[in-house]
Amino acid sequence: MQNGFIRWILLAVTLSASSAPLLAHHSFAAEYDDQKPIKVIGVITKVEWQNPHIWFYVDVKGGDGKVTNYAFSGGAPGQLMRRGIMKSSLIIGSTITVDGFKAKDGSTNAFGARVTFPDGRMVFTSNQEDQNKK
Amino acid sequence: MKKTAGYISLSSVLMIAAALAFAPAGGAQSGAMPTAKGSSIPRMPDGKPDFTGIYQWPSYMPGDQHGKGSASIFDRKYFAPLKPGGEAFLEPRTGDPRHDEPRDFCMPAGMVAGMLSANAMQFFQTKNYLTIVHEFQRMSRIIPLDGRPFRKDIEPTYYGDSVGHWEGDTLVIVSTNFKRWVLDDYFYTDPKEYRMHSDALTTTERLEWKDKDTISYLLTIDDPKIFTKPWSQLFQIKAKPEWDKVGLFEYVCEENNRCPGGKCAGN
Repeated sequence: MQNGFIRWILLAVTLSASSAPLLAHHSFAAEYDDQKPIKVIGVITKVEWQNPHIWFYVDVKGGDGKVTNYAFSGGAPGQLMRRGIMKSSLIIGSTITVDGFKAKDGSTNAFGARVTFPDGRMVFTSNQEDQNKK
Repeated sequence: MKKTAGYISLSSVLMIAAALAFAPAGGAQSGAMPTAKGSSIPRMPDGKPDFTGIYQWPSYMPGDQHGKGSASIFDRKYFAPLKPGGEAFLEPRTGDPRHDEPRDFCMPAGMVAGMLSANAMQFFQTKNYLTIVHEFQRMSRIIPLDGRPFRKDIEPTYYGDSVGHWEGDTLVIVSTNFKRWVLDDYFYTDPKEYRMHSDALTTTERLEWKDKDTISYLLTIDDPKIFTKPWSQLFQIKAKPEWDKVGLFEYVCEENNRCPGGKCAGN
């Protein structure tokens, strides 16, 4: 349990140290716009922990009370699991904040680069490895 | 995974030095890595270096350009001059995902871009083969080391036809017979520069242990339809023995591909 906690801290520190946009690789450039960042708070409704990219779905309540379901794409499961981020990191029914980038087509699809939980824990859901910081 | 500690003789060191001195590097390559000298490196029973293990993808040498994407890319400073008409190599993206990112449709990354994608890879070496399994798309390269020639009369492929041979302690892998395909992922950094190699491409990969955790990986691009001469960039491949605890993960692109036809959509 303690190892898990330390891992979360390390993730948070890694994220804080990274100032570059968290751009994905496969499919990002064609579908998502790094000039259209999005930040939503909502409840996880579904998780697809599958290749080639994970998808997770979030119900977001607008100012008018209307609920919109956003679909966020992330990295490949293997890339995430190798960093210790497992499917159990995204629990259906939990409230999260997602930072990402909107789809170019204006839909409610988006790329989810980072998930933050109410207690401050962060999950790096894109597939960018911080490979250049040695 | 048993690795035999070995000993590098003076003659081997000289052979390595000679191999490096005559490496077909057209472009200037700074920061050539010192190689493992006198120290033990993993070796096969026949004394050849053993590259069996699990690794991070080839990563940049200090000072080389990093792209916006996660994969490694080529630094333009190493390019040889373009031939007249070679500018087509830097064609812009068109907005059509079928052209811009065929991997969205589970088409192969191909060699060279696949080797530089930001995923784990595992090497399995026997006397006669080096097999490289990349986690991304479960790309598999089976490279004969037994001295056989290239295959004849086959159609060009995404990963080309590879054969390997030893030059001292350097494993030299030469690949040819490629389809025209993506060279690297630079287009995530600049969408106006979508680098496609031609079907005249020959790649040469030179692998050599730098130290017990690092393989020196010199990648030479010889594409006479595009460049006036071959050019090379040095990368390093870091051993990640801790990743061996769980091994490579499955990657079946068709499992939940939500970008059929280039239109990505959830739900």
